[in-house]
Amino acid sequence: MSPQQVAVIGTGQTVFKKHHDDKTYAELVQDATLAALADAKMTPDEIDAVVFSMAPTEFAGIHDIEKWSVDSIFGAGKPLMRVHTGGATGGSALHAGYTHVASGLFRNVLVVGADRVAETPDAQHILNLIWDRFYEFDFALNTVTMTALSTQRQMARYGTTEEQFAQVVVRARANALKNPNAHLKGKITIGDVMNSPAVAWPYKLFDCCPRSSGGAAMVLTTLDGAREKCANPAFVNGIGATSSTVFQGDKTGPKADVEYADLAELEIAGKEAFAQAGITNPMKEIQVAELYDPFSSMQFPQLESLGFCGRGEAPALSDAGAFDLGSDLTVSPSGGSLCTNPIGVTGLVRAIEAANQVMQRAGDMQVSGVRNAVATAIGGSAQFYTASVFGADHL
Amino acid sequence: MAPRYQENDAYILGVTLHEAKPRVTDKRLEEMVYDTAKEALDAVGINRRALDHVTIAACDELDGRSISSMLLAAPAGAYLKDEIKATDSGLTGLCLEATRIRSGRFHLGLLVSWNKSSIAPFEDVMRMRCEPFYTRPIGLNMSITDGLFAAAMQGADEAQASKVAASYGQAAAKNPRGVASDPVAAGAIAASPYVSTPLREGHRPPVTDGAVAMVVVSGAWLNDHPDATPMARLSGIGWSLESYQLGADRLASMQGLKTAFGDAMEDAGLSNAGDLDVIEIEAQTAFHDIATRQALALPADQTVSPSGGPFAQNPYFCAGLISAAEAVLQVAGQAGPVQAGRVKTAAAIGFHGFAHQGNVTAIFEEIPA
Repeated sequence: MSPQQVAVIGTGQTVFKKHHDDKTYAELVQDATLAALADAKMTPDEIDAVVFSMAPTEFAGIHDIEKWSVDSIFGAGKPLMRVHTGGATGGSALHAGYTHVASGLFRNVLVVGADRVAETPDAQHILNLIWDRFYEFDFALNTVTMTALSTQRQMARYGTTEEQFAQVVVRARANALKNPNAHLKGKITIGDVMNSPAVAWPYKLFDCCPRSSGGAAMVLTTLDGAREKCANPAFVNGIGATSSTVFQGDKTGPKADVEYADLAELEIAGKEAFAQAGITNPMKEIQVAELYDPFSSMQFPQLESLGFCGRGEAPALSDAGAFDLGSDLTVSPSGGSLCTNPIGVTGLVRAIEAANQVMQRAGDMQVSGVRNAVATAIGGSAQFYTASVFGADHL
Repeated sequence: MAPRYQENDAYILGVTLHEAKPRVTDKRLEEMVYDTAKEALDAVGINRRALDHVTIAACDELDGRSISSMLLAAPAGAYLKDEIKATDSGLTGLCLEATRIRSGRFHLGLLVSWNKSSIAPFEDVMRMRCEPFYTRPIGLNMSITDGLFAAAMQGADEAQASKVAASYGQAAAKNPRGVASDPVAAGAIAASPYVSTPLREGHRPPVTDGAVAMVVVSGAWLNDHPDATPMARLSGIGWSLESYQLGADRLASMQGLKTAFGDAMEDAGLSNAGDLDVIEIEAQTAFHDIATRQALALPADQTVSPSGGPFAQNPYFCAGLISAAEAVLQVAGQAGPVQAGRVKTAAAIGFHGFAHQGNVTAIFEEIPA
C-alpha cells in the first residue's frame, strides 16, 4: 500500500532574536502554535496529536521542556512526544509528524517547538559537552571548531576560498532583509565578512550563525484534510534521513564510507527523499532550497550532495549568482540558518520556509513559480541529516 | 491467494534484554547498547545492513551527555541508516516506531532503548525537569511528585501498597531476566523509611541498569520473507500527555492513562480490559499500580505484571519498553518461569514525567498458527 498523502496547511513562527525577555519559553511556543493554527484555519480542538521539536534542552535549562509547555500549546490530554537528533531535530520532528499522519493514526498533527539558545551564557560550552568525556572533552572541540576542521578539508580538496564563503554570508544577510522573523540581516560586503573578528580559521565572526530564540510550528494533515482547509497546500512528497558516525576521523581516511568535507551523508538522505518525490533532476525540478547552514561553508557541500551540481562546482556557481534570488535555484531566500539559528527548531524553520514557498505564502521572500522545494537539517558532529521535499502537487 | 500479513501492520520479530544488574561496571553505556542491539539482530538472523531504519529512545540527561545519541546511535545499529530518537520514554519509542512502520515508508527496523541509571544523579535530573519559576525553587523532584500522587489517590493506603510491593517482589524473584534479589515481606516494606509521605522506600522498585531492543517489521516485509516467524503483532497503541499541573484533580483522575489505554484498545479492536490475558504495568510505585488497576477497573482475577514489573528490573527510562518486551514474550509463550499459561493478547502500560503525566499503552496479539 502506498503511504497516505501528507500536507502542510499552516505554519507559524515568532520573531527570532537573542532574547525574548518578555516571554517565558511556554509563551513563546504558544505564540508559534497560535500562528500556525490561524494559518491553518483550525482551532486547537482539531489537533489530534503533537510532535515536539526541541533539543538539546540544556540551552534553555529545562529538561522535560515539552511537558511544561503542554498546557500552553493545548496539548493536554493528547498524544504528544518529543524527538531529538541534535541540530537535525526540527527535520526529524517533521518526519515524525509525517509518519503520524501517514500511518493513518491521526488526521491533524501539530509539529511545534521553540528554543532559547542564548539562555545559557555560553552555548559552545554546552556544545563541548556533546563529545566523548574521555577523549574529546579536554581539547576545545565544539560545533565551531568541528566544522572549521571540515571546512579546511573542503578548501584543501576543492580550492574553495574564504571569499567564496563570505559571498554566501553576503547573500544570506541580504535575503534576510525580506524576512520579518530573521535574527541577523543587512547589506554587507565580502570585505565586512573578511574583516570580522577571527573565530576559528577559516571562520570569522560573520561566517557563524547567531544564538537565536523563538518558536516555530507547522500543521500537517491528510489529503482530505488539505482539500477541506487549504487552497494551496504543500505536500510532503519525500523524506530521507541518515545517521552517521560521531567520529570525524572515520570520515577522512581512504576506507571512509563518507567524506567529511562533503557532508556526504546528505547524499543518501537526499536520494531517498527525491526518489519518493519523483525528482530526477533537482536543478530543473526544484526551485528553492532551504538549507541548514549555521556556518558559511555548509552550503556548498549540501548543494553538491543533493545533486544540484557536481562535487567542487558549487563555489563557482555561487560566484556567478546561480543561487541568488530569482535564479533557477534560490538558496535560502529566508536568509537561512546563517541569519537565524534557534537550534531546537532550526530544521523546522527550514521546512516551514520551504513549505511557505510552495504554498505561495512567503510574503516578500516569495520566489515566483515554486512547485518544489527542499529543506535540510544537520545535527551532532555533522552526523544526523534530514532532507524533505515539499511539492505543490501530491504524488 | 491473499497475503498472510496486513502490509502496514507492525510485528515484533525479536526481543532482547540486556542482563539486568543494579550497576553494570564492566561496560561503557555504548557497549551495553551495542551488545543488546547486536544480540537482537543476531537472534533473528538479520544483518544490520538490511535495516531500513532505527528508532531509539533515550534521555540525554540520564545518559549524562548532551545529544547522547551522537555516541549511541551507531552502537544501536544506526550507522548510515534513517534514525530518529524519542525522548519521553522507551515505550514512547515504540509509539514512534509504530507510526514509522504503519506509514508504509519503513519495513525493517530496530528499536533500542536503555538507561544506565547508576551513572546519573537521578533526582538532580528530575529536579531540572521542573520549570524554573515555581516548582524548581521549592525542590520538587520525582520522589515528591510520586508522594503527592500517592496522597491524592482515593481508596489506597500504605498497608495495601506494602502488600502490592511485596507480591511484586515475589514475582520478580522468579523472573530470570530480573535482578536476582530476595523478596521483602510486606511488614518490612511497611517499616521502611518514608520517601515522601505516604510513599515509603519499599513501595518503589530500585533503579537498575539495563537495555532493550526489538526488531520490528511490517506485514509487507513478512509477506516477502515467509520463513520469518514473528513473535507478536502490535495490534494497538495509544499515548497521551496530561497537564503539567500537579493539582489533586489531575493526579487522582488518571485521565491520561484512561485515554491512552482506551485509544490502544480501540486500535486493537478490543472493548474491555478482560479481553487482555496479561497486563504488564510499569508502575514506579505500588501506588501507581493500585491506581492503574482502579482506573481501568481491572477484574480481580486479571493477570497483572507476572514478570514482577519494575521490581524485577528498573532501568528507569526504558522500563516501560521492558514491560512491553515481557508482554511480547508472554504472547510468544517464551516468558519462561513467569509464563502465564497461553496468552493470546497482552498489554504493556508505561508512564513518564512527573506523577504519570505521560501515559502509554501497547497491545500485542499472538500470531495464529
